[in-house]
Amino acid sequence: MQRKMIQITGMVWTLVYASIIVWIYATEPRSFKEVATNSQVAAGIYEINQERLNNGLALFRRDQFRAARDEWAGADPAQRDPRTQFYIAYACYREGWGRVYDDDALFKQGLEAVNRAINLAPNGTLIVDDPDLQMHTAAELKTELEQGTETSWKDLNPLKLFRKRK
Amino acid sequence: MKKYAERNRALLHFIVLPTILLTVGLLGGLRVDAQTRQFVFLAPPLVTLVLAILLGSLFVRARAIDLNRWFTIEQPTLTNLSHLLTLVAFFFASAQAFNSVLPESGLLHWMFSFFFIWTLWTNQFSAFDTRRLLKSLIVLFGTAFVLKHLLVSGLSAPEGGWIRKLASTLLQGIAIDVPAFAPVTGYVSFFALVLYVLGLLLMAPVPLRLGASAVNKLAVREDALAESLDQST
Repeated sequence: MQRKMIQITGMVWTLVYASIIVWIYATEPRSFKEVATNSQVAAGIYEINQERLNNGLALFRRDQFRAARDEWAGADPAQRDPRTQFYIAYACYREGWGRVYDDDALFKQGLEAVNRAINLAPNGTLIVDDPDLQMHTAAELKTELEQGTETSWKDLNPLKLFRKRK
Repeated sequence: MKKYAERNRALLHFIVLPTILLTVGLLGGLRVDAQTRQFVFLAPPLVTLVLAILLGSLFVRARAIDLNRWFTIEQPTLTNLSHLLTLVAFFFASAQAFNSVLPESGLLHWMFSFFFIWTLWTNQFSAFDTRRLLKSLIVLFGTAFVLKHLLVSGLSAPEGGWIRKLASTLLQGIAIDVPAFAPVTGYVSFFALVLYVLGLLLMAPVPLRLGASAVNKLAVREDALAESLDQST
């Protein structure tokens, strides 16, 4: 009986350990810290760091976008919170926006973040009720970022100089 | 006393052995980036799966794994399933052991792969017994480890060294594309290979039979020995 128990335990353990290995290779963590974060996500107990999110918001409102993005990246290391990803995208938009031309690299980074936010949001719709922002939905922000990365004749329009940052 | 021995044998066969093999599977593809010191997990390339199949075939031919005894209709389904899991773990451990000693890309990756295939293919037609096969594999993996982690990694070392100077003189015009990994990668690979060899040593040609009497077990071992003797003569 005891030997049979060992056999069953061995089989269950082998399957569990093999699943963990497959999961590690699928998620490709880059450090032990990421392994811990990914484990929290998998276990459904992952939470963002609210304090760092608020610090990031304070920096964002002072137009310190790069610092804000760093804070938000630390607040949501697994990139699983749609609201934080939305704010990261917004910070990219505001920093990359220019009256004459936009910063393509930052806009692309923003586009990646807003796509993550849309994918993580339930039903793909994300609304952020923040009075300091002029765009409240991820869809609006995505459109703005996409337009910024596209090249068209509209770019030569001199009236473009009078447009306002959202 | 006998009870403890049986229990320990069962623990070794059903828990320790799969754990060792799966740990090789985990560590075989692990590298540490030289600059960022971040983990890089490399899934086994297709060629390592081919190599693992050739190695498995070699084990069966040399009777290091007697498939007729690992899977038999006379033993419970649970035991057969458990053996299947162990052999699957052995297959992936072999693939990852090769992955661990193969250069990741470029000309050297294909050269190493070619020599592994050549060695394993020619060995298929040689007369092997279990001990000779194990010795041969230890030498094969040991040589590949020394070549990859001592010689080839010297080529990508940022500070250079005599290996790099020699190689750049000998191989002028030939681009050797070897990604740079931190020295700790070599330690991880060494540990993985030691575990792999330990796993091979623990793998019995004829697996443990639950509930079999000592006389039965002796008879089974005697059968296996007689068959391997027949094969070698």
